[in-house]
Amino acid sequence: MLRACRIVCASKRGFATVVDASTGFKVAAVDNGQPSSSVTVLLKAGSRYQTKPGVAHTLSNFAFKSTAKRSALGTIREAELYGGVLSSSLSREHLALTAEFLRGDEEYFVDVLASFLAAPKFTRHELSEYVLPAVHSESHAASQSAPTYALELAHALAFRGGLGNSLYADSQATGNITAEDIRDLHARAVGNPSSVAILGTGISAESLAKLFESAVSAHKTSVTPVPSAPAPSATTYRGGSTRIASAHGPQAVFVGFGSTALASVPALHALAAHLNPAPALKWASSAALLASGIPAGVHARSVLLPYSDATLIGVVLEGEDAAGLREGAKAVVGAFKDAAGGKVGREELARAVARAKFQVAAGVEAREGYVGALGPKVLKGETASLQTVLDGIQGVSAASLSQVAGDLVKSKPTYIAIGDVHALPHADEIGLSA
Amino acid sequence: MLFGPLGPSLAPYVRSSRTLSKWLKPIANWYANVSGYRKVGLVYDDLLVEERPDVQRALTRLTPREAYDRAFRFKRASQASVLHKELPKSEWTNPEEDVRYLKPHVLEVVKEDQERRVWDTIDVVRK
Repeated sequence: MLRACRIVCASKRGFATVVDASTGFKVAAVDNGQPSSSVTVLLKAGSRYQTKPGVAHTLSNFAFKSTAKRSALGTIREAELYGGVLSSSLSREHLALTAEFLRGDEEYFVDVLASFLAAPKFTRHELSEYVLPAVHSESHAASQSAPTYALELAHALAFRGGLGNSLYADSQATGNITAEDIRDLHARAVGNPSSVAILGTGISAESLAKLFESAVSAHKTSVTPVPSAPAPSATTYRGGSTRIASAHGPQAVFVGFGSTALASVPALHALAAHLNPAPALKWASSAALLASGIPAGVHARSVLLPYSDATLIGVVLEGEDAAGLREGAKAVVGAFKDAAGGKVGREELARAVARAKFQVAAGVEAREGYVGALGPKVLKGETASLQTVLDGIQGVSAASLSQVAGDLVKSKPTYIAIGDVHALPHADEIGLSA
Repeated sequence: MLFGPLGPSLAPYVRSSRTLSKWLKPIANWYANVSGYRKVGLVYDDLLVEERPDVQRALTRLTPREAYDRAFRFKRASQASVLHKELPKSEWTNPEEDVRYLKPHVLEVVKEDQERRVWDTIDVVRK
């Protein structure tokens, strides 16, 4: 059955084995003896690849709706009878469809996922009756959260098109989304099998590949032509600043920078951990340098968002008081400049490296983190192992950290302020150039 | 389907038999023309009883164009009814135009309702 049972990597930590199924999909799985299993299908159908605004978000809500084999109601009721959970989540690059279930039920849940890949219906009435209401409520919820909105705006300013596309479909965008647009995005993502990754936990890669092959071949009815897509252009970092008035909820400020140098990603991991003012123990205060500069009442956390060809790093500050946010934002800019000036001590570097490594390693323990960290690697055909990432972070020196931070600070910053625009600072008032 | 939205019908049986459909088709065509709805510009699916939830749901699934045309036909037919007149012959519905635009949607809704009923009353057996 398996054309090439190419076991690329069984690293000594045993994170995942990668198998190329004869369907062309890349299959990776790890079995640590958990009582439950999960299977995630990763498609290149994130908001980066959409041709109309909001199509990716709509497609992610179309997951597990009716297919040629079973209706949406049938999928829900059967999954309930098996006691499984079906979910879909969207990132800027990938759409992840996940089924979690008890061991032994893999045949049914793999069939559900395969039928969505091979024979979805995308009916017009499901779009208007079930999908768009869910899309609107998700977009509305996201628009009410200042930090989420700030990160959306930060992506839009930093990367403009491509990675800058919003994850959420606003109500203006959904007006002209048709079922055909969604079918196109799905067909483009599934049409090239090497851009589909199947990740399993609690199941062996060989049996997962075998199940998928039989399920997909059972669903395959006819070869549909894959609509040609413009290749996503390489991302460039632009930066910029904006201030948005909002009268509701806490105010938010984002100060960050972008980088398109892939070689600097390990150092950015360390830098984000170095900047992170969140304490390791609840109610305690962190020893990180930035933590002392953040006034009480302002909640700050560092954000590192690595994508396949760009990275966004920054700090999100959230608080009720505009004066506190101004002070905190000044401290963040100061911390970036200190790091660029080589003012990171040996102990601080060791702490940042340890923290970054732990965050990466602990993130993989949870299923979402496992998919987020290893999925892109599997899609690229690399070994699905964490060791290279951890080794990379371990190799960060004070010089490389300050050099990477220096490059960031020299580029145009991305600055977002959401809240009371009369009181929140402008970019130059907190020490950002341009 | 005796009490379904489309009412009882012997049409599938008649259509399945070649002799029967050859005999009955001219009578059916004559009946459709004589019943008069085509003379006020309606099509057959406009006569479907819409005061029931499944047909209402099917009506929401029409394309905007179909919904607009349906509303237009109703307005024109009401005006003809007010005037106690048929439309001019050029505006009568041709037999080719008399397509079942609503029936597929109604059947789909009925199928969904039946499936829901099945799932609601299912007897689960552990294998």
